[in-house]
Amino acid sequence: MSKWPKLTIGHLYPDLLDLYGDRGNVLALEARCRWRGIETEVQRLSLGDDLDLSQIDILFLGGGSDREQSILVKDLKCREEELRRAVDEGLVVLSICGGYQLLGKYYQTGGGEKIPGLGILNLWTVAGSKRLIGNVVVEQNSPSLSEEKPQTLVGFENHSGKTYLGPDLSVLGKIQHGFGNNGEDGGEGVRYRNVFGTYLHGPLLPKNPHLADLLLQLALERRGYDHALPLLDDQLEKRAHQAILSRVLDA
Amino acid sequence: MKRTWRFWLALWAGKISAAMLRALGRRGTTFPGVVAQRLDPECIGHLSLSFSEGIVIVTGTNGKTTTANLLANILRAAGRGFAFNQAGANLVTGITGALMEYVNWRGQAQVPLALLEVDEATVPKLCEQVSPKWAIVTNFFRDQLDRYGELDTTVRLVQDALPEETMLILNADDPLVAQFGQGRRNTLYYGVDRLPESRTESRETREARFCPQCGAALSYSLFHYGQLGIYACPNCSFTRPQPQVLAVQARMEEGKLKFRVGVSAYEVGFQGYYNLYNALAALAAAIELDVRGEDLEKGLREFVPQAGRMECFPLSEGPVTLALVKNPTGFNQVLRTVLSSEGEIRLLIAINDLAADGRDISWLWDVDFECLSRGLHRDQSHGGSAEIKLIVCSGLRAEDMALRLKYAGMPEEKLLIEHSLEKAVAALQAGRQGKERVFVLPTYTMLFPLRDYLASLDLDEGGQEKPSERLRKGRASA
Repeated sequence: MSKWPKLTIGHLYPDLLDLYGDRGNVLALEARCRWRGIETEVQRLSLGDDLDLSQIDILFLGGGSDREQSILVKDLKCREEELRRAVDEGLVVLSICGGYQLLGKYYQTGGGEKIPGLGILNLWTVAGSKRLIGNVVVEQNSPSLSEEKPQTLVGFENHSGKTYLGPDLSVLGKIQHGFGNNGEDGGEGVRYRNVFGTYLHGPLLPKNPHLADLLLQLALERRGYDHALPLLDDQLEKRAHQAILSRVLDA
Repeated sequence: MKRTWRFWLALWAGKISAAMLRALGRRGTTFPGVVAQRLDPECIGHLSLSFSEGIVIVTGTNGKTTTANLLANILRAAGRGFAFNQAGANLVTGITGALMEYVNWRGQAQVPLALLEVDEATVPKLCEQVSPKWAIVTNFFRDQLDRYGELDTTVRLVQDALPEETMLILNADDPLVAQFGQGRRNTLYYGVDRLPESRTESRETREARFCPQCGAALSYSLFHYGQLGIYACPNCSFTRPQPQVLAVQARMEEGKLKFRVGVSAYEVGFQGYYNLYNALAALAAAIELDVRGEDLEKGLREFVPQAGRMECFPLSEGPVTLALVKNPTGFNQVLRTVLSSEGEIRLLIAINDLAADGRDISWLWDVDFECLSRGLHRDQSHGGSAEIKLIVCSGLRAEDMALRLKYAGMPEEKLLIEHSLEKAVAALQAGRQGKERVFVLPTYTMLFPLRDYLASLDLDEGGQEKPSERLRKGRASA
């Protein structure tokens, strides 16, 4: 018998939130489990599907267009309590861009209207007048992420919403290049318990294998397995990560 | 609309700058267009009114250039005179410059018709001044989101911009396009009932999952590719319109695309079924422009594809096919064409992320590269028995491309990263066996450096010297 439990990845609204190649994050989690002999199951959850969060190890929410985001706020609202409870007992969540904004309290449109979010995290987003677009390098807010190098995250951002964190939340990392949460305070993303929110597409996990492994490690620990994950041959991943670092930081 | 002194100033200044460029031995319509637009921002509107039969525009994400070129070829076969922004100058300034070339110093057009390829994002700006008599809309896919905002916005802006009186020539099989005809009388639809590769299920990322009228998920009885297919809304009356120009018996034979519309048989020298839609769009528009019979058939049959659209280079090691890739749907179509062959395959994929390519390359993760490694396991799901022997990754994003392929299940020993174009092509051809097929798949800014290099290798056979100038340019951008 495998020494690992099966991990279930819940991909929320893959048909609505899948702009910018975000499904690559789920591919990366699956592949990195497969290469280590860890069995995975991906549940693709859409509008109105039954969601049993007790069965989910890692929940993934990607980015979507504005129309699609407004469709699913309603659907998510009735899962709010359940999601809040799961987060408090350590559910691993990765949320990107639109998914990240949805976890917050509200999104304030250009016209001043506040579209409520889930309010799981004490953060909020205000529509900005220009889109924040380009390559991003983030210095990880250690020691909140793994000890292993590299200590940077790389990705590509494309958002007009500016996100602000409440005083009780800490950022995922500090911007070395790019805009991040709001282009003002030098912060990017959020980490709260095992919930990760970020504006980084790319997709995020293939080029940041240390973050992918951190999510897997946290999910395994939550199931009571605390053996260290076997190392993988990440030369190609590191090369792709380094290519962006060199290009952006040396420019 | 009265012509003011500003218009004459703009026209003459534009024509003088075009003449100067010509005297310097340079071509180009964008600079004269910039000059004219600067002097009279309404210049393009005045110019457009000079064409007595009216303006045809071609817009959409994929296939604009090919469709416009096909239609131009049919019009030429029919002996019709028309203005044309052939150089792919499809923004307002380029279009202004192109129209000016066909208008004399007295502001009179020397041809009755104008055929314009128009960038999607430029349609609203163009239609503020120009009222096209016909508009061909090809399809909408994700393309360069970072430049245009999200797809929904693009579709809505184009739809809102096209004037009431414009005759719309629409792809019936793309719900994002077909919705333009809702509540309008002056429409002509083209479409396909079935392709050899149509499936009842789709693995691809699709754009239009929801009914544009009521928001319910659309149901498909058949997918052709992407979101193109036979669809209907289960909840309201929105459904795929019945195409008036309908292709049947579509097939590839002797490297040509063959099909019938009604009683007429057509062929066009293309690979890839996505080109069937381009041919149909051109055909529908030509019929609408009163071209008949043999001219339609001849215009398609004698068409030569433009640079880098499944273009073949006969090199000493064997032929190399060059195909531009620029978005997930287009890339998936190219991969299908690649895999439709027998035997082993070598690929060079060159990905840049400059402005013209789209700076965000995450779209590579929406391409079904998994189909390349499915062949390795011989489950025959793609029809042919092609197998990948080697993939060379090049361009500014060579590492990202290689990583994408690793996560698509391609063994790392089949992958090679090579930034230099010369070395990448050399690696691609090294040890090539007789029956192996070779494809070079670049994004936009890699297309011309690669094309020039492949052409120079081709010329080498005839003992001519290498144009190394262009090559240096290619390396600089890599």
